[in-house]
Amino acid sequence: MPLPGQVAPAIAISSEGDRLALEGVLDIRTLHEVQKSLRQALKQRKTGALDLAKLSGLDTPGALFLCGLGDKGVEFTGVRAEHRALLDLVCGLELKPLRKPKSDPRWRQLITDLGRSADEAWHDTLDVITFIGRATSAVADALIRPRSLRLPSISRQIHDTGITALPIIGLMAVMISIVIGYQGVAQLRPYGGEEFTINLVAVSMLREMGVLVTAIMVAGRSGSAFTAEIGVMKARDEVDALNVMGMDPMALLVVPRVVGLVITLPLLTFFSDVMGLVGGAMISQVQLGVSPVQYVDRVRHALYASDLFVGIFKAPIFGFLIAVIGCMHGLRVRGSADSVGRETTRAVVKAIFVVIVLDALFSILFEKLGL
Amino acid sequence: MTPTTQRHPKPIVSARDIVNRFGAQQVHDKISLDIFGGEILGIAGGSGSGKSVLLKTLVGLHRPDSGEVLVGGKPVDAIGPAEKAYLFGVLFQQGALFSSLSVAQNVMLPMREHTDLPPDEQERLTAMKLALAGLSADTGVKLPGELSGGMVKRAAFARALALDPRILFLDEPTSDLDPLTAGGIDALIAQINRSLGITVVIVTHDLTTLFTVCSRLAVLVDKKIRVGTLEQLRRADQPWIHEFLHGPRAQGAMAARTHSHGNG
Repeated sequence: MPLPGQVAPAIAISSEGDRLALEGVLDIRTLHEVQKSLRQALKQRKTGALDLAKLSGLDTPGALFLCGLGDKGVEFTGVRAEHRALLDLVCGLELKPLRKPKSDPRWRQLITDLGRSADEAWHDTLDVITFIGRATSAVADALIRPRSLRLPSISRQIHDTGITALPIIGLMAVMISIVIGYQGVAQLRPYGGEEFTINLVAVSMLREMGVLVTAIMVAGRSGSAFTAEIGVMKARDEVDALNVMGMDPMALLVVPRVVGLVITLPLLTFFSDVMGLVGGAMISQVQLGVSPVQYVDRVRHALYASDLFVGIFKAPIFGFLIAVIGCMHGLRVRGSADSVGRETTRAVVKAIFVVIVLDALFSILFEKLGL
Repeated sequence: MTPTTQRHPKPIVSARDIVNRFGAQQVHDKISLDIFGGEILGIAGGSGSGKSVLLKTLVGLHRPDSGEVLVGGKPVDAIGPAEKAYLFGVLFQQGALFSSLSVAQNVMLPMREHTDLPPDEQERLTAMKLALAGLSADTGVKLPGELSGGMVKRAAFARALALDPRILFLDEPTSDLDPLTAGGIDALIAQINRSLGITVVIVTHDLTTLFTVCSRLAVLVDKKIRVGTLEQLRRADQPWIHEFLHGPRAQGAMAARTHSHGNG
């Protein structure tokens, strides 16, 4: 028996006249070598007899190979007792070849995949609409009877999704306004209008970028957390346990998250707007030589109150949708834990997609309304 | 891989003065355990007595706070990955089958990684391992999520046996199974040990498994370990061991032992 530290097993085939003999270890590591040389050696002889007396080690793949030889009429001599037991076991197994999974040709797969994903997208849309309805009714229910609103749970959600997100969202807002500022200066300078970079940064941060960056960040951070939290509860039957104990998972799990995020996202957006303006001040000082005091004055003239409200107005809507999509995918988890990961990915992608599509629609709408 | 039931004088796995601590809580206090070639060793103990931790320590998945594990005289940490794959097979409690791979792919994975056998040969071997573990070839295409509890254990068995390891570690192989299925697993363990000559270490609190399959028992009590044959341990005066091996459930397992041994 080889112990660790010893060399890899070796095998040799020797022939005395018409007799072949195996010597050494016939196991999964030496099997391929033996197969190649032994088949040739056996072909050259009429009678097949194989002596196994010097075989010191045999494992199941080796035994399976010997069984195959036995079926072809090769006789074994000098089989050791311990090898005999193994050969009996392995040769006695009823072996059928593994079933191959059916596979369609590539072009057909493409078409079926296309159809399947279209069907899924359609059902997904229906599911989202249905779930938005259920969530709205659950939230409305809770608002009508404020007692059923779980305040501790809501405040924990606000802490988890809002306060802990402040550093990263502030940083992102500063970075984005720096990016916009640099591009603005570079593009406007040839026309002598680089001063308008301040307007560009202030207006685009407040109307669009502030809320968009915040919503995308929250979708990635909190939307995914909602799916994972609820998904794990679902996979461990905790959601069923709630149902059995007469507690509504919608009221207990979904409503606090939705209400929490609807409160949090506008606040985060406001914070991100402020940080965006701070970033704008930095870029104005560095690139335009405009001091912070002058900057504030310029921003006051560039901005209207409606710019701020257009941005903040969108935030609760985005918050609602991110929370609803996160919770919906969490409750969709079936069976094992691997579907949690899949649903989390879907929730984040869908939330960000919905946020951006809605933002584009809002842009058009506000343009038409003249806001 | 010589099938043999006689013990080697030198243990193939030897744990020396193992201490495991989690925070302030000590789980193992200078435990020493020898595993001999060809035996079936059952490791028992109450819930939370550190059975699974001991098993993870033995295979090198958990580094003990002090003490060492020697495999064939070599520290378990010093064994290379490929060598380890041929040395140890582990059946995890929940099966730990890769959920994105089919059962056959699960079994084939170690072969693909560590041997240079052609694919069709690997498939033949996989079919053989599945049959050995008592699964039909049709099960091979299924995903682990589609299997029943007993089939998961059998599939995990087949994967643990993929490279014909020297030592097979089984963590609760019969837990969550109905008695008939558990009996089938017990028979499988005995057969693999007998025909393949693989040393088996079972962590379990299934008394029937301990009484009917194992040749020696190791019981974890009060951070220490007591090792011996069933007869020796039944005479032990330690209260927990006495209760464990003489309680009403133990009587049933004793009857099963007499029955199975009577039938040869």
